[in-house]
Amino acid sequence: MLDGVNLITYGAAVSAISFFGVLFLTPATIRSLTAKHKVVADAHKPEKPQVPRPAGPVIMISIAAAEIVLFILTMNIAVLAILLTTAIAFLVGYIDDIRVMPGWFKPVALLAAAIPMVVLDIYVGEVYGESLNLIFGRAYIPLLYIPLIFVIIPITGNTINSIDVLNGVASGFLIIASIPLLASIAIFGSYEVFLAALPMLFASIAFYRYHKFPSRIFPGDSGTLLLGTMYGAVAIAGSSEIIGVIALLPAVMNSFLFLASVKRIVEHREVKARPTILTDDFKLAASTDSKAPATLVRLIVVDRPLGEREIGYQIFKLAIFTALLAFASIAIQYIVLFR
Amino acid sequence: MALTILALFMTGMWVMILTVAAFLVIFVAPLDTYLFGGQGGRLTISAIQAAIAIIVVIVLVLGLNRLKRIYLHKKLQQ
Repeated sequence: MLDGVNLITYGAAVSAISFFGVLFLTPATIRSLTAKHKVVADAHKPEKPQVPRPAGPVIMISIAAAEIVLFILTMNIAVLAILLTTAIAFLVGYIDDIRVMPGWFKPVALLAAAIPMVVLDIYVGEVYGESLNLIFGRAYIPLLYIPLIFVIIPITGNTINSIDVLNGVASGFLIIASIPLLASIAIFGSYEVFLAALPMLFASIAFYRYHKFPSRIFPGDSGTLLLGTMYGAVAIAGSSEIIGVIALLPAVMNSFLFLASVKRIVEHREVKARPTILTDDFKLAASTDSKAPATLVRLIVVDRPLGEREIGYQIFKLAIFTALLAFASIAIQYIVLFR
Repeated sequence: MALTILALFMTGMWVMILTVAAFLVIFVAPLDTYLFGGQGGRLTISAIQAAIAIIVVIVLVLGLNRLKRIYLHKKLQQ
């Protein structure tokens, strides 16, 4: 059990490593990727500027450095499980960044990212609690919890990946969703997992500086999958599964709408009918094509066309709203547990 | 306006998630007590609980799908 001084010291150390790692390494990554012509067109802007991609490696290096330091300091097995899960998700995303893979690849390959959590819990123990935190109480489901991990990890990874549609949205959204999750882990989980979750928040804050509108670099699948999967891993290890889902509702809704529309697992680029159209003044408007999939962005622009920056802010407002719902859920659970 | 309706939609999703969570804790978790008087086999109880949980989650997804259809039909057909 960590005491107050250790908690503050370790927290400051892992936050600083992940934050400054991304902050100082990203400019060099931008220059390097640009020199190697690893760029993609930013389709929603007049000049269609070429933006370097992916930033996944720099985010992974910074988070891994922080998690390794935390593991050495605490020797907590959950920290190692979170690091390995995140690293596998990064590799899956990086393969998709360098080679165009079919739609089934990411959800199927992300099953591998759940393996370290399950294996380390079976052979070492204390990675997760084997009971599902259902806000009004806990359900002890040691056997059923294993398949649940194999469901949660690919879903959270792909959910953050699917919301990475406009400049700064994935990183900004993850910052907002992480705050209630961290609060829940601190109250209902363990301090070690809380410390392990800090690099996700601080790496995202530093990355947002470069990813916000107009983006200077894109995270790529490696960046979004590692952040989304890490979110799922810390929610599992921190006994905050349902709170994590509630904070993630706008992104969950986006994935749900898309899947319910196309009725199969497919990459967005493979869908011919686009959910939005780009107007002459470079605003996004809702498509009138009945075959076009429903997405969060299409619903946001259904009343009137909006600019890319404005849509991003609308998504952030929704994220703040669901973060408040997550805080309300934390309050309900606190009252139920400690009344 | 679109944002307000989306926020209401998410509040609906939140209420449905909390309802399912409360149902699982209040009715499904103590199944052994009021179905078998605390004498049921562990594996049997777990299988019944898992089956009920899966059915409830499917009902939740169908409910969300219905909510989505009503909303999309109203908004995108305008």
